[in-house]
Amino acid sequence: QCFIFSITVNANLTSLPEKHLVLLRDGRTLIGYLRSIDQFANLVLHQTVERIHVGKKYGDIPRGIFVVRGENVVLLGEIDLEKESDTPLQQVSIEEILEEQRVEQQAKQESEKLKVQALKERGLSIPRADTLDEY
Amino acid sequence: MFRNQSLEDCPLDEDEDAFQTLGEEDEDINQFNDDTFGAGAIDDDWQEAHERLAELEDKPATARELEDGAVSDEMELLGHHEENLAERLSKLVIENELEDPAIMQAVQTQPPMQQSGGLNSSIWDGSAVLRRFRGPLLTQEMPSVSVLEYAMLQKPPQGQEDERDLSERALPRRSSSPIIGSPPVRAVPIGTPPKQATMPNFIQQILCPKPVHIRAPMQQRYPSPYGERMSPNQLCNVSAGRMSPSQFARVSGLVGSPLTSMNPKLLQGRVGQMMAPASGFRAFFGAPPPPAPPSSQQQHPPCPGSHLQNLRPHPQMFRPDTTHLHPQHRRLLHQRQQQNRNQHRSLNGSAGDRAGHRSSHQEQLRKDPYANLMLQREKDWVSKIQMMQLQSTDPYLDDFYYQNYFQKLEKVSAAEEMHGDGPKKERTKLITPQVAKLEHAYKPVQFEGSLGKLTVSSVNNPRKMIDAVVTSRSEDDETKEKQVRDKRRQTLVTIEKTYSLLLDVEDYERRYLLSLEGERPALMEERKQKICDMYDNLRGKTPGQERPSDDHFVQIMCIRKGKRMVARILPFLSTEQAADILMATARNLPFLIKKDAQDEVLLCLLRPFSLVLYHLPLGTVTSLLQQLANLPQSATVPAPANLHLTAVLQNKFGLSLLYLVLSRGEELQNSSAAMELMQDNQWTELMSMATRELLRIPEAALAKPVSTPSNLLSLFSRYVDQQKLNVLETKLQLVQGIR
Repeated sequence: QCFIFSITVNANLTSLPEKHLVLLRDGRTLIGYLRSIDQFANLVLHQTVERIHVGKKYGDIPRGIFVVRGENVVLLGEIDLEKESDTPLQQVSIEEILEEQRVEQQAKQESEKLKVQALKERGLSIPRADTLDEY
Repeated sequence: MFRNQSLEDCPLDEDEDAFQTLGEEDEDINQFNDDTFGAGAIDDDWQEAHERLAELEDKPATARELEDGAVSDEMELLGHHEENLAERLSKLVIENELEDPAIMQAVQTQPPMQQSGGLNSSIWDGSAVLRRFRGPLLTQEMPSVSVLEYAMLQKPPQGQEDERDLSERALPRRSSSPIIGSPPVRAVPIGTPPKQATMPNFIQQILCPKPVHIRAPMQQRYPSPYGERMSPNQLCNVSAGRMSPSQFARVSGLVGSPLTSMNPKLLQGRVGQMMAPASGFRAFFGAPPPPAPPSSQQQHPPCPGSHLQNLRPHPQMFRPDTTHLHPQHRRLLHQRQQQNRNQHRSLNGSAGDRAGHRSSHQEQLRKDPYANLMLQREKDWVSKIQMMQLQSTDPYLDDFYYQNYFQKLEKVSAAEEMHGDGPKKERTKLITPQVAKLEHAYKPVQFEGSLGKLTVSSVNNPRKMIDAVVTSRSEDDETKEKQVRDKRRQTLVTIEKTYSLLLDVEDYERRYLLSLEGERPALMEERKQKICDMYDNLRGKTPGQERPSDDHFVQIMCIRKGKRMVARILPFLSTEQAADILMATARNLPFLIKKDAQDEVLLCLLRPFSLVLYHLPLGTVTSLLQQLANLPQSATVPAPANLHLTAVLQNKFGLSLLYLVLSRGEELQNSSAAMELMQDNQWTELMSMATRELLRIPEAALAKPVSTPSNLLSLFSRYVDQQKLNVLETKLQLVQGIR
């Protein structure tokens, strides 16, 4: 429904800008400096980086300035800069992470296909949830 | 229409005439135009006005450079223009108080304050549309929509804002009158936050002279959470008798804060609530909540009083809008504030006052030129909107899961504290501003001199699009299938109705606590009535004295939701009613078991059933056993293969229930006095029959019960000899060790 972003907004005042992490409905994770926000949760992110997570690895793709329409935002959170480096995740290069992601997607699709096949044999069918937010 | 007529009536060879008539019509078109569109379509007023405004556009951009931000005359002109428009509109409308908020925006009256500032100051104010309420309002005068405004002078922004082309956002205003009934075309869309910087020097001008509409009968228990933050102006308008004294004390402490009015005071005339972001976002709840909060608050009921303890009269340090937050949220925020203040302090070594802040401001800009892209005002504005969304008349209705979740959390933490006996954390409850629900009887707008009512459809008064009529089917048409379907539907409807009653009844406890003393008996009555209704619904109302058939009840029990509902209802029923339900269940158990095969929901009934059993006398238990086992009344009748009992025993629920009944019977037997001899005999007979049956049934067919009561062994030992007892033991796994 509505979210309290007072923390975030207040952070705009501090000397060091605080990074924010935004999760979008399609599953993308954006990290950047939140510059502007409005009542619909439309966001303006500065120096945005799209972070792709696969397993324990992640990769950052620099994206520049992002303007996100509010309805696509799932959640928005502030990143504690001190704790940011304190993560068990391992950063890899962009190519590597994209490759990993592709492999993961492929595996998912295969298992999905098998599932659908098995269901079909039993006479059941689960409709493809195109309109749902699935990732 | 004229045209149609000409085409239809004139045969083909009269086409020339038809064209001629069409030609004549063209001359009338201008006439029609005038009638339809009025003078606006022909006059070129709007063009001139546009020119004028376009010129003005350039002026504010330059005016900003001036040190004092002088008001340009043209701005005033425009302001007056809109004022005139508003006045004209308000005269037109009969109903002085337009209830439809969507339409209300079309009529704005400006307070007699100078509207200085840029083109966009009115937009900012427009976004804070007040809602006015009928009903017992404190102030007698009822102006039409009063938009609380303030004058914000523009301070030439520091270098960072030069790059922003502010003129882009301001479109010229239209001079033509808005279409009556719809909100006027806004120069800047309503959702646009303001863009000027705030100036702390104009505190005095900011305070709005207009009184705040407050609902007079504010409940004692829910004083406005913002009471502390009312400016002196608003204080005068508050019904003094209503506010608790502690709030006044706090307000007086806060009034003197220099930054109190730094931000625009956008006051909402919302009932019972004053959204006055009194100070900047900077910090809130400066000091940590006092370690012994309840001492001063004990006289207040915990719920509304607890929020006060979190608000220290720290001048710069409170954030009124965040009282909505759960204490955990607030704690987080507070921590943030501490951190930030520490950072401030380390930067400039000052105590974080305004002067110090300014110098650190420069540093901020150096480090991050894009910081503060959003003005404080804008942030406040958005935050205010979000807080508005949090308002609710009944949080338990609107935000049930949130409330329950945090209640559970609190209970858990309270329980932990009991054990651990650790430091007493704040036990504050979440307070959201309680806005009393007011009924708006919306009446459509009426205009002078018009015949009938104009169909002004807005969001609050939507037009009826479809004329749906409910037709009831006649009995004759129904086929057997339909009847069956309808019966099921009827049952479902009954379940739904009963469920609503159940939810209401479950809620009564909470309402009871919240209500006033005088209302409580009425509440109790209501509750009783609802319980009766529920029971009637369950059993099916029958005319006369005859015992109602089980059919209705069985139908309900066939449906999963019905079973769950019965399980929830049972605690509320009286003993007789509950026993009745139990009997009905026992009687029809095989059927229910069959129906439950897929759902397996019957087990949810075990708990409430067992609770009921503890209240039942032996007689009832005996008959219950009889029903359950479907054993004949007397032992003399040779018992045929007892399918009923078999089915019961083969089902988990059935067996468990049987055990419960037996165990209860045994308890009663042990404790009952000798005067219940008659019942004893019956019980004994039944027991012997039951044991006979149990012996007969092969072990493999037996279900696994949920729990085996411990006294069954002693129970059976009464009625059978040792050998059979052993058999029973192994069969039913009565001995503890075997399982």
